[in-house]
Amino acid sequence: MIKRFLSFLAPFFTFILLLCSWELLVSFQNIPKYILPAPTDIFSSILLNYEDLLLSTFITFRITILAFLVASFLAIFIAILFSQSKIIELSLYPIAVIFQVTPVVAIAPLILIWVGLDNAEYAILILAIIVAFFPVLANTNLGIRSVEKNLSELFSLYEATRFKRLFKLQLPYALPFILTGMKTSIGLALIGAVVAEFVAGSGTSTGLAWRIIEAGNRLDVPKLFAALILLVVLGIILFLLMSLIEKLLLRRWDFDKN
Amino acid sequence: MLKFNKIYKQYDTPILGPINLEIEKDSFVSILGSSGAGKSTLLRLASNLIQPTSGSIEYLSNKKPNIGFVFQDPTLLPWRSVIDNVLLPAELTSKNAKLSKEKAFFWLSKVGLEGKENSLPNQLSGGQKMRVSIARAMAQDCSLLLMDEPFAALDEVSRNKLEDDLLDIWEKNKLTVLFVTHSVTEAVYLSQRVLVMSSSPGKILDDVIVTEKKSRDDSQNHEFFLKINHLTNILKKESDE
Repeated sequence: MIKRFLSFLAPFFTFILLLCSWELLVSFQNIPKYILPAPTDIFSSILLNYEDLLLSTFITFRITILAFLVASFLAIFIAILFSQSKIIELSLYPIAVIFQVTPVVAIAPLILIWVGLDNAEYAILILAIIVAFFPVLANTNLGIRSVEKNLSELFSLYEATRFKRLFKLQLPYALPFILTGMKTSIGLALIGAVVAEFVAGSGTSTGLAWRIIEAGNRLDVPKLFAALILLVVLGIILFLLMSLIEKLLLRRWDFDKN
Repeated sequence: MLKFNKIYKQYDTPILGPINLEIEKDSFVSILGSSGAGKSTLLRLASNLIQPTSGSIEYLSNKKPNIGFVFQDPTLLPWRSVIDNVLLPAELTSKNAKLSKEKAFFWLSKVGLEGKENSLPNQLSGGQKMRVSIARAMAQDCSLLLMDEPFAALDEVSRNKLEDDLLDIWEKNKLTVLFVTHSVTEAVYLSQRVLVMSSSPGKILDDVIVTEKKSRDDSQNHEFFLKINHLTNILKKESDE
């Protein structure tokens, strides 16, 4: 009990201590706001700009979730295709790896030209999808391939159709792997959405990355920090959300004890 | 029930062969042998899961029987309840759902798991999981039951109990059992016939008929001991070679 209490209290007090030290350092050293704003300045900036910032957070959130869902759906679909045909896997996997190893920043201008400069949001979405796609593909592929030999033989013994094998064995078996991939992917979708917005600009809607650029250009460092904090909070919320979904879905999965 | 005609199996190296063997209908046959003797390969060949490199397997009346397979581990789907695991083969073969459910409940109660139908596999003990695996095989009205060291991972008490229950199932149902094991005592206790296999490549080294009455007390029986000694000596000799 005490251990559990400590595991919560220790990081909490460390965080408070860090904030206090930061606040004291800034005020005693008279560090200007445009170099390092105090935590209270950042908090004030959040309150002052909360409408802009919340709207931008929502826009970044929307792009991230959309990119994450499209990337996950595509990746699972392609992994299923891989599981059905070795030739499809051999043909498509190298292309997927090429997308994975190409830095998103390098292909952003190209995507932007293709979708048109007026459709920057689409470019951001596509780039975020590219970044988020691979972990789900690799993990789903691994999960489907990891099916225990005996289970696979059991399905062969009863002459299961490909369809039944896929939906009653391979996909359920791969679920923990898929969710691990999705947990990585949701963070990458956020990173992809932010990096893409830095490179591609924001179009008509402004996400958090654009707020950071804008605040940086105006040397409004407290607002820059505020946007950064919201980005971190958004990332943590998305990760916790995925962890919760994983926990709920995997209540029945317990390979070790079986 | 089952006839192996000059069976050979080879992957990179020869695994098995030649195997010429006839398994009588409704008999209980155990296969003994050291690791790598090809015992499991023989079961997989019998179930048509793998094909022989050469030779053929004949079933009685040239018709593949309903085969039940019990693996070394329980091979349960962890996300499915006990009853859903037992119903899995019926789903895969698209059998009548109502009838299958009745049979699944019947066999779960037969193996002593009444009331556990909605439990998940991870809520069961090792012995109980193996019972689910047996119920799953039996619920398909199998006439040929293939068992690949099913009780190897169990403690002695659970193992003895399951052995007795298996004998009971075998005696009350028209069933041919092919049972792979490492344990000489288990093989002699359970079977009417024990096949001893040599390794690299696996061949039938000896074919021993067991006529002694099945009872736990027989372990004190002189004849029972002689048979165990005889089989143990064959295995020892084989491993020394």
